[in-house]
Amino acid sequence: MNSSGTKFALGVYTSLFLVFLYAPMVVLGILSFQTGPEGGPQFPIIEWSTYWYQHLFGFTPPSRIAPLPINEALFRSLVLSVMTMIVSTVLGVSSAQAFRRKFRGSGVAFYLIVLGMMVPGVLVGLGMALVANVLGIDRHWWGTAFVLHVVYTYPFAFLVMLAILNRFDPSVEEAAWSLGVSPIRTFRKITFPLIFPGVLSAMLFAFTLSYDEFSRTLFASGRDLTLPLAIYGTFSVEVHPNVFAFGVLTTIFSFALLGVYAALMTLSIRRAKRIAIQEEA
Amino acid sequence: MTIIAETASRAPPAVAAKKVSDKTLWLLAPGLLWMLLFLVVPMLMMVYVSFWTQTTFKISPILTVQSWVTFFTSETYLSALWTTVRIWLIVLVTTLLVGYPAALYVGLFVRNKTTQTVLLVFCVIPFWTSFLIRVLAWRPMLGKEGAINLILQALGIINTPIEVLLFSELSVIIGMTQIYCVFMVGPIAFMMGRIDQSVIEAAQDMGAGFWRIFRTIILPLTMPGVVVGAIFVSVMVLGEFATAAALSGRKVNLLGNIIVTQVGSLKWAFAAVVGVVLTILMGIVVAALLRVVDLRKAL
Repeated sequence: MNSSGTKFALGVYTSLFLVFLYAPMVVLGILSFQTGPEGGPQFPIIEWSTYWYQHLFGFTPPSRIAPLPINEALFRSLVLSVMTMIVSTVLGVSSAQAFRRKFRGSGVAFYLIVLGMMVPGVLVGLGMALVANVLGIDRHWWGTAFVLHVVYTYPFAFLVMLAILNRFDPSVEEAAWSLGVSPIRTFRKITFPLIFPGVLSAMLFAFTLSYDEFSRTLFASGRDLTLPLAIYGTFSVEVHPNVFAFGVLTTIFSFALLGVYAALMTLSIRRAKRIAIQEEA
Repeated sequence: MTIIAETASRAPPAVAAKKVSDKTLWLLAPGLLWMLLFLVVPMLMMVYVSFWTQTTFKISPILTVQSWVTFFTSETYLSALWTTVRIWLIVLVTTLLVGYPAALYVGLFVRNKTTQTVLLVFCVIPFWTSFLIRVLAWRPMLGKEGAINLILQALGIINTPIEVLLFSELSVIIGMTQIYCVFMVGPIAFMMGRIDQSVIEAAQDMGAGFWRIFRTIILPLTMPGVVVGAIFVSVMVLGEFATAAALSGRKVNLLGNIIVTQVGSLKWAFAAVVGVVLTILMGIVVAALLRVVDLRKAL
């Protein structure tokens, strides 16, 4: 397409679009450096300071603004995300493995799995709370909320693995089998290294989705807060820049995670290439 | 090597069929069981409990349609239903209007694959921040002393700050549009990338202008992307409550917000009714969208 006038106009539009996507976060980042405790969550910046960051970690003298309850919430969120990541990746890999062969009822099974990512958190959360209520089970972040997190993230892991396995050349596995290598050993030595990039992506998806998951947790976890619930708690009260500072820190954390993922990915792709070269030789 | 493997893999399926289905079952059972227990059972429970009897703080399994009658005769609930439908429709249109041109540019006008990927990654990066933080980030933008009002005043466009920007239906719509428009951009840009350039070139050679090409080639070919994006956005917006809670100052009550308040005051049966209504609404919307384009054929 080379109508240059249209192209220019659309280019300008797209850059405005990106501004629209980023502006709120930028503003939030700037305001997190507002002075405290008297500085509010708005312009102008009275004085630049890292007061609210210190406030988050409890380094500031006590003031009328209560610190965010993030210590234990952070611990719970991390444990919950790791649990979710492990279980949903295992489930995702095994069901995607099953889908490599056509079988009767595969359509129904596929939709049942994918339903988990489509049904809104409010609905499953409410349903789970009702089940727990009727059965007389206590709701906990490590119990009722955890199983819902897996319901949400397992479809993502499954779809990622399905995409990877579709491109996967089964002849390599068959060669191992025909040479008498046991299926378990074949999986460990051949299949797994080849699908590892996919597994890594599935893990990243599951972890970040669970770490950020909120509506399911709201209904299905009991009294103990996870990080998103702690942030949600600030919605109903006056917002102070400490929430903004916290937003900046979680964003940095997410990017660090993405960095680790990228590094592991590069390594595993390099290793896969090396194996491929050895095989050819 | 591959030829041997292929012939080998082609020969035995008939023999291996039974053995494979056993293995398939074992691989699939844990996941499906998980979904049945923790997704299907809760949803069915919601339908069941919606017919239970609600007393002030408790529900008892005596079947009644009382909660349903309450829902459909109450001004509050019906207006929440209407607000949900209205906001969903508006956000669907705004995400499409805001997202489509960007997808058009990224998918069709940027010919360099690397630039294309970089632009798409830029669209996705905001997702690496917490959803709630992104919602909250609109507060200092839209407020009376917010960034937008400050900039507009500094430019001399307005004299007094626009107050309707925050804690109104408008702020909920702005926030939702920003958060969900990427789900429109992605699928549409994907379909753009699959358009055969030679078709467009042929049309250009025959003297068709941009609008004609857009109407007769680009738009029809990207419709499946629009439908997929619309399904994503619809499902998410209909199940929303956090954006309304953060940005509307309790002025906008979606069905999701009603569920949250009802659960908060232990009105489980009412909450279940609202949940079932929301599920049905969502089912209708998704079914209607799938009617527009046959996705299996189009993809």
